[in-house]
Amino acid sequence: MYNLIPNLTVRENVEVGAYLSDRPLDVDELLHTLGIYEHQRKLPNQLSGGQQQRTAIGRAIVKNPDILLCDEPTGALDYNTSKEILKLIETVNQKYGNTIIMVTHNDAIKDMADRVVRLRDGMIRKNYRNEHKIPAAELEW
Amino acid sequence: MKNPLRKRVLRELRDEIGKYLVVFILMVSTIGFVSGFLVADGSMMTAYNESFEKYNIEDGNFRTDDEIHRSQREKIEAEGVTLYENFYIESEMDNGSTVRIFKNREDVDLVCLMKGELPQEKDEIAIDRMYADNNGLTVGDTLTGGSHEWKITGLVALSDYSALFQNNSDSMFDSIKFGVAVVTPDGFAQLNQDLLQYDYAWVYDEKPVTEKEEKERSEDLMKAIGKIVTLEDFTPQYLNQAIRFTGDDMGSDRAMVTVLLYIVIVIMAFVFALTISNTIRKEAGVIGTLRASGYTKQELVRHYMTLPILVTLIGAVIGNILGYTIFKDVCVAMYYGSYSLPTYVTIWNAEAFLMTTVVPLLIMLAVNYGVLRYKLNLSPLKFLRRDLSGKKQHRAVHLSPRIRFFQRFRLRVIFQNVSNYIVLLIGILFTNLILMFGLLLPSTLDHYQKEVQENLLADYQYILSVPVSAVSGSRIDEAFALLDFYLGTRTDNEDAEQFSAYELNTAEDGYKSEEILLYGVDPKSSYIQADFSEDGVWVSSAYADKYLLKEGDTITLKEKYEDDVYSFQVAGIYDYTASLCVFMKQQQLNKTFDLGDEYFSGYFSDTPITDIKEKYIGSVLDLDALTKISRQLDVSMGNMMGLMNGFAILIFVVVIYLLSKIIIEKNAQAISMTKILGYTNGEISRLYIVSTSIVVVVCILLSFPVECVLMKFLFRAIMLSSMTGWITLWIDPMIYVQMFAAGAGSYFVVALLEYWRIRRVPMDEALKNAE
Repeated sequence: MYNLIPNLTVRENVEVGAYLSDRPLDVDELLHTLGIYEHQRKLPNQLSGGQQQRTAIGRAIVKNPDILLCDEPTGALDYNTSKEILKLIETVNQKYGNTIIMVTHNDAIKDMADRVVRLRDGMIRKNYRNEHKIPAAELEW
Repeated sequence: MKNPLRKRVLRELRDEIGKYLVVFILMVSTIGFVSGFLVADGSMMTAYNESFEKYNIEDGNFRTDDEIHRSQREKIEAEGVTLYENFYIESEMDNGSTVRIFKNREDVDLVCLMKGELPQEKDEIAIDRMYADNNGLTVGDTLTGGSHEWKITGLVALSDYSALFQNNSDSMFDSIKFGVAVVTPDGFAQLNQDLLQYDYAWVYDEKPVTEKEEKERSEDLMKAIGKIVTLEDFTPQYLNQAIRFTGDDMGSDRAMVTVLLYIVIVIMAFVFALTISNTIRKEAGVIGTLRASGYTKQELVRHYMTLPILVTLIGAVIGNILGYTIFKDVCVAMYYGSYSLPTYVTIWNAEAFLMTTVVPLLIMLAVNYGVLRYKLNLSPLKFLRRDLSGKKQHRAVHLSPRIRFFQRFRLRVIFQNVSNYIVLLIGILFTNLILMFGLLLPSTLDHYQKEVQENLLADYQYILSVPVSAVSGSRIDEAFALLDFYLGTRTDNEDAEQFSAYELNTAEDGYKSEEILLYGVDPKSSYIQADFSEDGVWVSSAYADKYLLKEGDTITLKEKYEDDVYSFQVAGIYDYTASLCVFMKQQQLNKTFDLGDEYFSGYFSDTPITDIKEKYIGSVLDLDALTKISRQLDVSMGNMMGLMNGFAILIFVVVIYLLSKIIIEKNAQAISMTKILGYTNGEISRLYIVSTSIVVVVCILLSFPVECVLMKFLFRAIMLSSMTGWITLWIDPMIYVQMFAAGAGSYFVVALLEYWRIRRVPMDEALKNAE
């Protein structure tokens, strides 16, 4: 699901991303931010779904990209874990200042975005700036 | 309704062609090569054994200096034998060779026509096939000898000359400079009759059964004939090298090939086990779904066994076909290249079939069934989760972040594939062992030749031959013959030093009995520098190496066909590798064997001795004669070495290919993901291929010391079981370099294939194949 490399530890999976970047983020700091620092020596199959997702996000943002594409980041996660991940994405956005494009079927999540583009059958139905942005922690569905 | 899963079989074959090709190649090459060899060996051996009856091979022959009269003949035949004239004339040919020409035989020692026809006209000749091959002659060519011009009408094998020994006392036969031929009686009559040799073959009316009986019978016969006519030469069949050498020698390759086969069977079992576990791992999801929907374990076991068994079976069939055609012909050609054997009929070899076909098939069945049965005991849920480990995954081995990232990644790949790499190590060990043997034999033989050359007792060793008439004729004849012998064997050569010699056989259990030459030498000998002050004997280092002798041991030797046993204490090891022999004081030897104080049987000399009568020189042991064993090995095994090396490299490539393929497949999703993340093919190859490369290099290097030990053991076993004499094992350091180069080279080819495979892993593998 998260395409982590099964025989690499959490830390090493994040480093897979870091290797590709000329200006990667500090891995230790990122692991702290992601809340998986204490799990860094575990293999992916020893982690919960949320932890695996954090690792996958870590692998993506350690490259310090300008744009981060998140396709259904909460798709397979329960309510609480989903909120954890959304809070994390919010934190990353604020801390590292990169643009995040998130695709979701969960209507509630749009409220945390700065801009909302609504699609149906590949056509843009709505495109507006979200004036009433609320923090991820306060999202309810 | 038929099981719909059957439709998968052919599709699976198409998708997994690489894997099944490996199994197929293994089966075809092993069966083809090994059974081809065993079939050839068995068929030739049968042809050889049957030739004794089929061609009515003589029980012995003797030569007289004149034709025997009818009354003499009747007296001899009264001894229970039938005599046949087998006169010959030796003719020097213009190509520098000697051809021994016979009249075509009709009753005894019949001729096997290999090609063309037997001569009909007086200027026609049929020559030995091997002599013809070695001298570039064939049917229709002309063979010129002095004033005679012979038209070659046929190529033949003379049943009493399967090994072309010109003289029975020769150490080695020579099929280039010596040949045999048959002509018509008219053709024979026009040869120079002054050179006619009165050779008579005899056949016992009632054949002796045991070798001992044969020996006693022939000795009695020799004495009886000696009283009737004057014997020039007397050779019973069991002592006739031209007849017996081939049979003794033919079995020697067999032991080697059988060892090879066992090695390959072990490799096969591992390869089969790996392929089936790989299949189960790849098919985990399918197996889980099928089990969950109601397919029984048995149905799935059958389904997953179908294809491997089918491929193995087809491989076995094709392997056998190739074995009985191409490979058999190659091996038969090797035998025809060494010996002048008659035509043969291919005989189905039950043992070869069992060992090369039935056993691998059973292994394939057992391994597949066992692994499948065991793995299918896991719950369907586990299969659906692709969790086949059975137990919980252990914690990851901690690797310090200070190790460079790529290094850590590679280490992880190695940890992940430890079981594959263990099989790789075993595969490399065994294939390298075969390769090492293939490379080692020629270099050991070379080294042996050089060592013998540097280590000669004397440049020439003349072994005298007492004329037959001196021991078998009437008293007066004997006295004359002996006097002539003593006068004819005196020499003025100052280098010459007399020695006595006596031949005994080893009597050790578990070894092939072999001849040991005992030298009785002058204690102050200038050729043998050993301390003979004590009573013991010195043994040659070859003898000590072979029988693991050390100072103070006791050796036991016996007369070849009798029960007399002699024991000697080893006083020292004499550095002499050319043959298995024993040195003692001449006096001691003469006394031990009751030969008389004055007895001697030959000379050591550093210069050729020219003043002794030719006819009393039984044989000259010079460098050529002493290196006979190594040349003989080179002839009988040398041809096979190329085949063995090729075979070893093939198996090496096949095993490495299969294992690295499994490793890449296992990681296909990770490779795909790393591609998505932005890794280049080169970088991914550096992660996955380099880790395997490191392991391959380490395995090859690790295999060297192991192989060195194994080879010592194996070489000894082969030398003990298949031949007489002894060759010291010598491992040229260059062999390791060659083995490394062969291993690295063939791995490089596999690595290229793997690179191609990595490039082919699509990015959507990771995106679509969400578990």
